[in-house]
Amino acid sequence: MSESKANHTFAFYLGCIAPNRYPGCESAAIKTCKKLGIDLVPLKGASCCPAPGAFGAIDLNVWYAMAARNLVLAEQMKMDIALLCNGCYKSIWEVNHKLKHNKDLRDGVNEVLKEIDMEYKGTCNVYHIAELLYNEKYVGVNKVRDSVVTPMTGARIAVHYGCHLTKPHKDREFEKSIMLNTEHPSWMEELVAAIGATPVEYRNKMQCCGAGGGVRGYDIVHSLDITNEKMINIMEAKADALTNICPFCQLQFDRGQIEIKEKFGISYDLPVLHFCELLGLAQGMSPQELGLDLHAISCEPFLQKVL
Amino acid sequence: MMVEKKKTTTKKTETKKQEAKKVAPVKQEVKKQAAAPAPAAQNAVAAPGATTQKDARIGVFICHCGTNIAGSMDIQAVQDYAKTIPHVAYVDNYKYMCSMPGQTLIQKAVKENNLTGVVVAACTPRLHEPTFRTATKDAGLNPFRFEMANIRDQNSWVHMHDREGSTEKAKDAVRIAVAKAALLQDLFPKSVPVEPAAMVVGAGVAGMQASLDLAAAGIKTYLIESDMSIGGRMSQLDKTFPTLDCSQCILTPKMVDVGRSEKIELMTWSEVENVEGYIGNFEVTIKKKARGVMTPKEAAAKGIVGGGCNGCGDCDAVCPVIKPNVFEVGMKPRKAIYINHPQVVPLIYTIDFNACVKCGLCVTACGPEKRAIDLNMQDEFIKVKVGTVILATGYDIFPIENKQEWGYKRYENVITSLEFERLICASGPTGGHLVRPSDGQTPMRVAFVLCAGSRDNTGIGKPYCSRFCCMYSLKHAHQIVEKIPGCVPYIFYMDIRSFGKMYEEFYYRIQNEGAKFIRGRVANILEDPKTKNLHVYADDTLLDRPVDMEVDLVVLAAAIEPKADTNRTRKLFGVSCSQDGWLLEAHPKLNPCGTTTAGVFLAGVCQGPKDIPDTVAQAEGAASAASIPIHMGEVELEPYFAQCIEEKCAGCGMCVNLCPYSALSLVEKNGRTVMQVTEAKCKGCGTCGGFCPGGAIWMQHFATPQIVAQIDAFLLGGEE
Repeated sequence: MSESKANHTFAFYLGCIAPNRYPGCESAAIKTCKKLGIDLVPLKGASCCPAPGAFGAIDLNVWYAMAARNLVLAEQMKMDIALLCNGCYKSIWEVNHKLKHNKDLRDGVNEVLKEIDMEYKGTCNVYHIAELLYNEKYVGVNKVRDSVVTPMTGARIAVHYGCHLTKPHKDREFEKSIMLNTEHPSWMEELVAAIGATPVEYRNKMQCCGAGGGVRGYDIVHSLDITNEKMINIMEAKADALTNICPFCQLQFDRGQIEIKEKFGISYDLPVLHFCELLGLAQGMSPQELGLDLHAISCEPFLQKVL
Repeated sequence: MMVEKKKTTTKKTETKKQEAKKVAPVKQEVKKQAAAPAPAAQNAVAAPGATTQKDARIGVFICHCGTNIAGSMDIQAVQDYAKTIPHVAYVDNYKYMCSMPGQTLIQKAVKENNLTGVVVAACTPRLHEPTFRTATKDAGLNPFRFEMANIRDQNSWVHMHDREGSTEKAKDAVRIAVAKAALLQDLFPKSVPVEPAAMVVGAGVAGMQASLDLAAAGIKTYLIESDMSIGGRMSQLDKTFPTLDCSQCILTPKMVDVGRSEKIELMTWSEVENVEGYIGNFEVTIKKKARGVMTPKEAAAKGIVGGGCNGCGDCDAVCPVIKPNVFEVGMKPRKAIYINHPQVVPLIYTIDFNACVKCGLCVTACGPEKRAIDLNMQDEFIKVKVGTVILATGYDIFPIENKQEWGYKRYENVITSLEFERLICASGPTGGHLVRPSDGQTPMRVAFVLCAGSRDNTGIGKPYCSRFCCMYSLKHAHQIVEKIPGCVPYIFYMDIRSFGKMYEEFYYRIQNEGAKFIRGRVANILEDPKTKNLHVYADDTLLDRPVDMEVDLVVLAAAIEPKADTNRTRKLFGVSCSQDGWLLEAHPKLNPCGTTTAGVFLAGVCQGPKDIPDTVAQAEGAASAASIPIHMGEVELEPYFAQCIEEKCAGCGMCVNLCPYSALSLVEKNGRTVMQVTEAKCKGCGTCGGFCPGGAIWMQHFATPQIVAQIDAFLLGGEE
């Protein structure tokens, strides 16, 4: 929509976990994007995305209608949506995609939306911030590198991609054209390298964090078991920190480490940072500004190493 | 005929002579027929009014095709309607028009009713146009006075449950066909002489077999191979299934035969650069890539008596440059001057000029007698004339690293089947000892991943079945059980496709030998960083449980794909490809060796995945098909040529550039520049005719008045 302008403006969809549990993610996204020529304008009146596992798995029609309402808010602002969470991406991007391509579904959703005087038209697009950062059309790796004032030199950082941004890959258009591969991608490693850190490969890197699909809510022990397996693999690679692009994954890895300690008696103490937070540090922002003090696992050892 | 032709002085007189010969007998045949234009008018096609519509008397014959057509429409209603169409002088129907009684019906009706044209409403021209043309000819008419209305494939079959609708559609189809039939002209196929030589592109087992067959039939054959030796993929294999005979052992006799045959001119390290001409008269430019080494023949031609390469290998011994051997899939070194393997044909060394540092050590080693090496050798271009061409260009291996979940090129102990073939082969880089690339240890647990990139609808792999991976993986399983006592093969499969002769029996044999079969597609492979062992994750769909199997080595049965330069080949020879990228045969069932370009045939995997027996069978079929025009001496071309109406032609030349077959040229005639058609090259596609701003191009059998009449007949519902 605003592609022709030098600066891009997006309606910023916050989601639930970022503003409630990791406000640092929210402020990091807004501040880092600003430095890269992207204005994030709050999407006022937005509701829950709604969570794909909690809603989509139980009643698809509710899922469609609620996500469509969020989309209509952006349509009314005449803006595309940018968001910072894989779960939100699954709901809002995928519902948008489905409604655009399925007239019957669109008509059904519009019938519901009519009750609140809304109509879904299909005029807006949805992007993940990580996608905007990597895509040269908006930012690109080079521009990210140029924005760095405090390179994360010497930091060994493991990358967690999360599931919903790249899968199912048959639908994901950006993934096909730009990211190329869902089974063993490396574009986030490129971003990590751009801020001066060393991306580390680890065993089974595309494994789920353990939280998604309602598993965390339904069976916490099983969910932590998966997280624990990931943690073992990441620790084997001698990472200083883990970065992600999804606050729900962040919650699972960050708070999950406390839970693992309680339930299994194993402690890892590995700092977990959303990529926007990491980028904020590299762009010279203070840890307080980025809300890093609100993380369950202390980021201090990592900060001492890189700052 | 051919000899006679060579004597004639100019091309013009030559064509005229030939035409006179061809036309004369036909002339007598059509004499009786009042409405037929004089054959002279056929050449001066500028006279589209040669047949006036008023004279036309058309017979319409409606076919029931059993119940194929009659079951879905009212034949009687179509017949009653046809009687009311202008120019229709006779209407009849029959259960099977293609049967002998059906054809006799046409002949009788034409003679008794003095018809000038025939319309058969039945199946498709693809299927029975030749049948009904012959019937029309036997009735005393020019065969091109026949028009077909397709009321089956495009009507009764698709509107099976709409009797009324299909009846109306059939009426339309008949009316449209009659409109064209009333304007059809007599046409006379042209004959062109055929150069008594053939060319085969690609010297794998398909190309070799085709060449040997052509040579046996007495035909001079040029065999073009881009690699330094013939043999292709088959020479890289260790053993063949299900007989387990050594691939090289059964292939080398054929290679030697090819090398020895006097009728085969073998050109290795060569590529087709350009192709001009048409069936019977292809003029092919071949690039002989600079090999750097002369054959004894080439040396003799340069006056070096007793010189040229004798394959002694002295040069190889002194060459200081080391490169990965492509023939060994990069698992063995070779020098910059090399042969692929000891049994190469021809046994002539080749210099890899991308690697050669031109130190000259090889020249010294070769010595003053042989003087085989020329470090300044340049590419050479050779022109040959051939009548027919067989494409046997083979295949590439799908880059299986694109399926990243299996970790090929990321994990050392994940290899492809072709690498396995070389590792298990006694002449391979390890002398036939299967080892793990990471540590050289003998693997005791080996996983085989079938359908690796085949039958893959993710958009990354190939949707088709590569057809021989099941069988060679079974063979691999047998080989490791045989060679390594205690080694267990685990075969992860979707289905085992063992469809050939003695193949299913082979499958049972391998089961009994102790191979473990797990039905499930491999989801993911992970490496244990310490041991470099691999964990294979899959879903065992028979036991309905997930599998995590630790193995020492994984062999991916990678899919095959069309050669990277397939598009270039297609453009050179005017051949199409199917949706999956393989070269397209003329008909998938009834003409699997031919292509849509007359005189160009296909053999082997370039047409689609197939194993060695099928490849050889197709090669023999292609050789037979390619030899027919050569033995006939001349070929008849369908007379759907474009013709230039010279009075209207402004000589702008736009059509010349548009023609996809390079059939048009500008010539000076009576002081004017006009377009001229090389009829043998013209495919009658109509691109020029549709474009010509002056309406100066007449497309025979698809002329503007004929097509306009069809459109009118459709739009106006038959009203004048």
